[in-house]
Amino acid sequence: MKRKRFWTVALILAAAMIFYACGGKNSGDTVSNDSGAEEKKEKTFTIGFSNCSQDTPFFANMTPIIEEYAKGKGVEVISLNADNDVSKQNKDIQDLLSRGIDILVINPVNEDGPSAGIEACHKANVPVVTVDKNIKKGNTAWVGRDNKEMGKLVGEKLIELLGGEDAEGVILEIQGTAGSTTMMDRRDGFHEAIEKIPGLEIVQSSYCDYDRSKAIPATQDLLQANKNVVAIFGHNDDMALGAAQVCKEQNLENVLVCGVDGLMEAVLKIQEGGYDCTASNDPVLLGHTAVDTALEILNEEKVEEFIDAGTVVIDKSNVDQYAEPDLDFATMVK
Amino acid sequence: MKAKMNAGKIIKKYNLIFMLVLFIVISAILSPNFLTINNFLNLLQQASIPGIVALGMTLVIILGGIDLSVGSVLSFSGMIASMIVFGFQGSGSGIIAGCIVSLIVSAVMGLVTGSLISYFGLPPFIASLAMMEIARGAALLTTSGNPVFNLGEAFHIIGGGFIFGKLAISAVFWIVLTIVLALVLKYSIFGRTLFAIGGNREAAMLSGIKTKRNYAVTYIICALLTGFSGILTASWMSTGQPTAGTGYELDAIAAAVIGGASLSGGTGSVVGTFGGVFLLQILTNIFNLVGLPSYYQRIAKGAIIILALLLNKFVSKNKVK
Repeated sequence: MKRKRFWTVALILAAAMIFYACGGKNSGDTVSNDSGAEEKKEKTFTIGFSNCSQDTPFFANMTPIIEEYAKGKGVEVISLNADNDVSKQNKDIQDLLSRGIDILVINPVNEDGPSAGIEACHKANVPVVTVDKNIKKGNTAWVGRDNKEMGKLVGEKLIELLGGEDAEGVILEIQGTAGSTTMMDRRDGFHEAIEKIPGLEIVQSSYCDYDRSKAIPATQDLLQANKNVVAIFGHNDDMALGAAQVCKEQNLENVLVCGVDGLMEAVLKIQEGGYDCTASNDPVLLGHTAVDTALEILNEEKVEEFIDAGTVVIDKSNVDQYAEPDLDFATMVK
Repeated sequence: MKAKMNAGKIIKKYNLIFMLVLFIVISAILSPNFLTINNFLNLLQQASIPGIVALGMTLVIILGGIDLSVGSVLSFSGMIASMIVFGFQGSGSGIIAGCIVSLIVSAVMGLVTGSLISYFGLPPFIASLAMMEIARGAALLTTSGNPVFNLGEAFHIIGGGFIFGKLAISAVFWIVLTIVLALVLKYSIFGRTLFAIGGNREAAMLSGIKTKRNYAVTYIICALLTGFSGILTASWMSTGQPTAGTGYELDAIAAAVIGGASLSGGTGSVVGTFGGVFLLQILTNIFNLVGLPSYYQRIAKGAIIILALLLNKFVSKNKVK
């Protein structure tokens, strides 16, 4: 009996490996440039996009946005997703290189992680552009946003809505994923703004991984443990919307709720009431800018080291410009 | 034989109640906000969905198997329900259709897992692990990783609504399902068959029990409970999320074992699992109430699970001569 099981498992593993190998070769784009192209004007460029994950709408949207925009410019894109796993991302980069990409666009899982992959890119003379999150070194350009600025802008808008300098009370901060530079920047920016007002105190939640199903119990528990809560700040809209739901259930209508990302569900809620402000983190503009930057590098034009895709605070006063139910995120691209 | 098994079960249950009381007392000392009705009702709501998943897991563990796919099946069924509800703009017929289709899909997945194990002889660990990957991929595929929102107020009531103002409907579902399954396990032929197969599969087969069919049926029941949890999750969050349910399988297994189930099969109790889920939820709750930083929460949770199981073993060894 034991032997039979061993062989069954071994066969399954072998079959899985065969499928993986076949799948890797047949799926996706088949155009690849094997020779180091001399004819710049005639050939089609291939961009390799290594995404960090697909598990939030923001990351999930980046891939089709980049693919479609590049296609519109006559550029091929091969994209892979690392499922939040650093070693997978390194392997993804190796795979992209062996498929002959001209340039790597990467949203790293974390800033130290893909160093082996980046090394390999240097050896293959493939330039690297980071998008959304940055790496420590080795990239030609970073297309991103100033998450610290976004946290700060939301903080300042919140202070304004709470009554300015005399504002008093407890603000719950629902935190994102531990170790993420995005999370740390938004947190630091928000704290920088709030620290200016002596009457406001921030209470931080445990790390909720940008996941609404963790944010809801965390909010419930924090509301139990803290009286005099006047506002809730979520490191992203998805979590903050969960917090807003808890406030509604507990009839806490006066508690202000805000987040970051410009998620359309949040933007629509600003319109209807129950949500107060957000900072846009438009993946469309980010993706377009990344592709444009990549093309500039491929055409040997000079690019800045950091390209800020920009943000805007959306609240009741300007929400009508951004509310569009067909989109997933509020966009600054008109 | 039956008398000894009952005695063993009762002793383990006694342990669990003792531990629960201990945890409640310690938590009440650590935070004045713990022993309030509001907090208790929150706890019930928070524990209800993992609780229903753990019920299904308990059945499978009693059988002598395991199901690692529950988290992914939860998410996939939630996505299907959400997409249908969204497609019907949150109307009543959409909700009914969404629930029925997602339960059917879950049942099919349970049937596949169960059949792979019983009819094709695959190890439960591997078969359910593979299904875990397949279901998660399927969940992400439905909307290319995007959540589905705008599901409407009516749908939200199933998983997020309250009766008598404050008691969560999902908690009521959990309690009712626990009672029903406890009765099934104790008094029905199916229930006793589960214990028999789990205790000694060869003997059960030789005594005429259709083990293969029971395997398939049990996995289907587990998948149905999981699918239902998926609907409740999507309803409570008011969004269908392809990443929902991650890690639920481990919590379900821990809860079942704390509740008295043995991973080698043949022993277990849904009432015990109820207590186990509650215990684990108290941990997260008290950590949040005292503001314990995230990293410590995970270490502490793991350590306490080990302590709980050691305590279980220690006390039952001393009592059973």
